[in-house]
Amino acid sequence: MKQFSRTLLSVGTALAIMGSAAAVQAETLKIALAGPATGPVAQYGDMQKIGVMMAIEQLNKAGGVNGMELEGVIYDDACDPKQAVAVANKIVNDGIQHVVGHLCSSSTEPAADIYEEEGVLMITAASTSPTITEKGHKLIFRTIGLDSLQGPFAAQYIVNSVKPERMAIIHDKQQYGEGLATAVKNEVEKAGITPVMFEGVTPGDKDFSALVAKLKKENVDFVYYGGYHPELGLILRQSREKGLEAQFMGPEGVGNPDISKIAGEASEGLLVTLPQSFDQDPANQALVEAFKAKGEDPSGPFVFPAYSAVQVMAQAIEGSGSSDPYEMADYIRNNTFETTTGTLDFDDKGDLTEFSFVVYNWHADGTKTPAAQ
Amino acid sequence: MSEALLYLLQQLINGLTIGSTYALIAIGYTMVYGIIGMINFAHGEIYMIGSYISFIVIAGLLGMGMVALPVILLIALIVAVIIASTYGWTVERVAYRPLRGSNRLIPLISAIGMSIFLQNYVVLSQSARDVALPPQISGGWTFGDPQLFEVSLSYMQLLIWVATFVCMTLLTLFISRSRIGRACRACAEDRGMTNLLGIDTDRTIAMTFIIGAALAAVAGLLLGLYYGVVNPFVGFIAGLKAFTAAVLGGIGSIPGAMLGGLILGVTEALTSAYFPSEYKDVVSFGLLVLILLFRPSGLLGKPEVEKV
Repeated sequence: MKQFSRTLLSVGTALAIMGSAAAVQAETLKIALAGPATGPVAQYGDMQKIGVMMAIEQLNKAGGVNGMELEGVIYDDACDPKQAVAVANKIVNDGIQHVVGHLCSSSTEPAADIYEEEGVLMITAASTSPTITEKGHKLIFRTIGLDSLQGPFAAQYIVNSVKPERMAIIHDKQQYGEGLATAVKNEVEKAGITPVMFEGVTPGDKDFSALVAKLKKENVDFVYYGGYHPELGLILRQSREKGLEAQFMGPEGVGNPDISKIAGEASEGLLVTLPQSFDQDPANQALVEAFKAKGEDPSGPFVFPAYSAVQVMAQAIEGSGSSDPYEMADYIRNNTFETTTGTLDFDDKGDLTEFSFVVYNWHADGTKTPAAQ
Repeated sequence: MSEALLYLLQQLINGLTIGSTYALIAIGYTMVYGIIGMINFAHGEIYMIGSYISFIVIAGLLGMGMVALPVILLIALIVAVIIASTYGWTVERVAYRPLRGSNRLIPLISAIGMSIFLQNYVVLSQSARDVALPPQISGGWTFGDPQLFEVSLSYMQLLIWVATFVCMTLLTLFISRSRIGRACRACAEDRGMTNLLGIDTDRTIAMTFIIGAALAAVAGLLLGLYYGVVNPFVGFIAGLKAFTAAVLGGIGSIPGAMLGGLILGVTEALTSAYFPSEYKDVVSFGLLVLILLFRPSGLLGKPEVEKV
């Protein structure tokens, strides 16, 4: 009923615009932005937030989407699966039908089930766990690459460029971290490298001295870490203190300047796989300037995927002529989208058909440079 | 020494360091329990606040161009102890004293509320992110055969041991020799009788909270320096571990808290050393269950006498 009246309203709006030629915006379309605004990984939530807010602002400036003005509403899940479920229910109850988020895979997965059931369209710009789109959901999409792409990519680099003699794989026992670690393990084993250690640590732990001593005893020369920066930062710092000389590598979850604050000098030379730096793309320079003008940092790995998630939504509404989640989902599956992260093409599961990663050398001052191949 | 022996030695050093700090925090739990028979669930947050205050003081003094590290640490220690003690005292005044004499569960709930309040208060005032401090005390000794395994003992670890040892000795002396210490012990034995004999038990209980908070602040400073990061959530895990240590050693017993802390720390380190480290918590909490099955009052605890 509500759906019907909204359609009526937008038809009415369109007629009104045609009739008077004055762009009166009668309706706002709320887009929920779900992710951690607090908690230990809140900085990733910030990346998503500035990307989404910028996209909404620019789309509105350009006249909105189908005559509707977009409005971003922020919901905080603190990267906690329990809170994510509560947030998802709240979004449904608030009558919002379009979500960009969530961020942590372990939050996105339970939330996605709720959105699918309640007919809400969700596009995540940051969750990389493959299982999210493996349930045959119709309304769940993502504008970022999967662990199942990133893991093998990291493994290729390890096999071809690092060529470790004694490799260890550590993860944080969470969906994202362990998923990546397992993908890397399977892939390097195919190439004939058998990791000497494959172990989990507890997120939130501060003491890794026992683990570092073990790495040292095993004469490990290369460590792949699946997880986020708070734990890897401490592992790096404690490794440096204990004289462990091993090369570390991690996924985009460790690639943010906070790791340099935590680990200091020990973060120099860390290898990180990140989505290609969209802020370096010449085509995006105007947008980069717009971020900088607002005092925001566009270099985070999720800023541009979040921006393009909103673009995909807007183009789907315009293309399908409807803001109905099911019609939009059909449109998204059957079309390609020109966005700041390139031309996006979605497969049946809702994943991108193509997404490229780059290996970077992290530096102690929080910057990064592309690593030698 | 063989490689296996050197490795064991290294893990014992690591375990004793973690254990020492568990013991420092555990004291706060055990003293409060010993006297009023209740668990202070806000204690972990006091530790976290102690850590934050010492970070702020150290960063501030370094920013003002001060270079003498011992002086900086001393000032940080004093400020952290004073402010954390004030928090400890306030927790007692707000969450315990008004509820004294009511059902035991009620102060328990108010303490949990206090803990949630303090955690979120720090989240809001300091942000939820990790705050990091560059290493202040670096370096240490290494020994053993570099070809086999090099054991390292950092100055920071040594400082933790020494500081814990000094705090524990001072506390033991204070409890057994001083007037307030005697009042504490009397309170623990029979609060009603102590009151009748003219000792202000409210003041004594407040004193226990203050002492516990001061030791937690020392742990906050030491662990802050050792790990170099603090966030508003560190109090929860540290508090849980310290509480476990206190129960393991026999809650209510001060030597028990020390012993429990050390056993827990060493067990964690040895488990991570010889099994995959994800089993660390399984083994240490399994040990807790076993000990409680066979010695319900903990290693050094006195069996509870039913008071009539």
